[in-house]
Amino acid sequence: MAVVTGIYLLYLFIPIVLLFVGSFGETWTNSLLPSGMTLDWYRELLDDGSFRRAFIVSLEVVFATCVACTLVAVPLAYALFKSASRGVMVAARIMFLLPIAAPPLVLAFGFILVFSSDALPWLGSIWLLIAGHVVLTLPYLLQTLVADMRHLRLDALELAAESLGASFRERFFDVVVPLLRHSLGSGLIMVAALSIGEFQLSNLIAGFLSRPYPVVLLQAFYGATGFACAATVVLLSLALLAAAGGAYASRSASAYRQGTA
Amino acid sequence: MSIQLQNVTFVYPGTRVGVFGLDLSIDDGELLAVIGASGSGKTTLLKLIAGFEVPQSGRIVLDGQDVTGLPVRDRQLGVVFQSYALFPHMTAWQNVAYPLKIRRVEAPERHRRAVDALARVGLKGMEERRPQTLSGGQQQRVALARALVFQPKALLLDEPLSALDAGLRGEMRDEIRRLQREFGISTVHITHDQEEALSMADRVAVMEAGRVIQLASPRELYDSPATRSVAGFVGEANLWEGVVDAPNAVSVPFGVLLTTAHGLGKGQAVTVLVRPENIMVGIADGIPNRFAGTIVRDRFLGAVRRYDLAVGGLVIRGQTGIRDPIETVSIRPEHIRLLPSAS
Repeated sequence: MAVVTGIYLLYLFIPIVLLFVGSFGETWTNSLLPSGMTLDWYRELLDDGSFRRAFIVSLEVVFATCVACTLVAVPLAYALFKSASRGVMVAARIMFLLPIAAPPLVLAFGFILVFSSDALPWLGSIWLLIAGHVVLTLPYLLQTLVADMRHLRLDALELAAESLGASFRERFFDVVVPLLRHSLGSGLIMVAALSIGEFQLSNLIAGFLSRPYPVVLLQAFYGATGFACAATVVLLSLALLAAAGGAYASRSASAYRQGTA
Repeated sequence: MSIQLQNVTFVYPGTRVGVFGLDLSIDDGELLAVIGASGSGKTTLLKLIAGFEVPQSGRIVLDGQDVTGLPVRDRQLGVVFQSYALFPHMTAWQNVAYPLKIRRVEAPERHRRAVDALARVGLKGMEERRPQTLSGGQQQRVALARALVFQPKALLLDEPLSALDAGLRGEMRDEIRRLQREFGISTVHITHDQEEALSMADRVAVMEAGRVIQLASPRELYDSPATRSVAGFVGEANLWEGVVDAPNAVSVPFGVLLTTAHGLGKGQAVTVLVRPENIMVGIADGIPNRFAGTIVRDRFLGAVRRYDLAVGGLVIRGQTGIRDPIETVSIRPEHIRLLPSAS
């Protein structure tokens, strides 16, 4: 078992390690490892206007996706949690399964069909890109929030607040929102991680000036290997940062939940 | 302040479960315990008073005001939940101060009142603790302080002691009773624990299938239960089916029991109730109902001993402090209660 695990980990990490090594290698042609050592690829990356713009676009898209997801997911998760209607439950289940049932590629083709018409000529805009990322990531945040609401027995806490005289607004902002801060935090980091690495949908619907980092990254592979490696390492670092943040947030959320259980 | 339920009926949608035609009155400063088996409707009764459910018919009157359609938050009732429902993101004092914050009490004043309320329930020095760092009993006290701090019109307790261990339960019973008397607040205490109800309440309502089948003082409920099911639910009981033989005698499967004059007609079916502690060990002068049998179960519980004596195919359950072997028992006529037959 340990051998299989070891081989699997090697298989997983070797490409990542090679990317790191390659990003610092001076030349890398027809050999197992690159020769020489340089920081030029990173310098070149920093000087490249299209990569800089793509990096900023990615950050803008991630930020806007997180904001939009928060604004939509918190009230929606609350409504799903409170609803006893069978129809609503079925709708929620469909929504949760959406990213699996309808892959980004299918969603992208749908977007192209709908938003390339004269009536809705928004294909290529950053707003459509953000909307696409929201559709893809929202179910993950919703699932996290609804599960946490159930775990916290939010309904009982709300009844208690109501019996103490709290209005709906007071209950929502004094009890619901503060209690969900941990799951919202970990859910948003997951949203950010997914959004940073999203390629399929972005590649098909992003405009030339609103291409996010992964889309521009593809072009790097038509050039020098070291440059491509450096550009990938930057994306990988961002994604790792988000994943580490997510792991930390979910660990602190679970410690908090254990305390409340 | 008094609480009245007038012919209140509520059925959960799509079921036949609920409460039916409830008439109940809780006097000012009274502690009414509501007991019953699971599904008897006792928690529904509390939900109706609190406003979590709205009756389909009937009225709920609080201190002379009809509150039947009034939202929960406008009823001004303190509710202590079975799970305590303390807000985990707030400290003990913030939990207690929350109803004051809702009522726009100034921050320093609400802190002072919350700290004071915590001191009154014996939690001085624990103001900054979060609920999850408190024991079950301490959380219970915080929940009580929170329910009382805004001077509610009445207090509703939904099985508040069921999550505590036996030792702490006894302590909290006394604590709740003390606070209830100190605040002079009308209280409805829902419980499935008959011992808790008998020891705490001014009156006890026994519910069955959504109806109150007896409302009486604890002593009356124990000594004179209205039905076989009440007798069986409240305390330990010997319950035998019998037939009236004479104005002071009843036939039971293992013989004839002499009773006090009961005024029932000959041949009438009855349920005979004798409490285990009223079964006397041995034969004493002047006690007529004597039965010999074999001990089939004997449990030593320290201060008392509980035994089952097989007599004529039935079992007489007794309770005594005597440790000698038991072969005969006797029952005084005045300790025999006749209830309507279950059949």
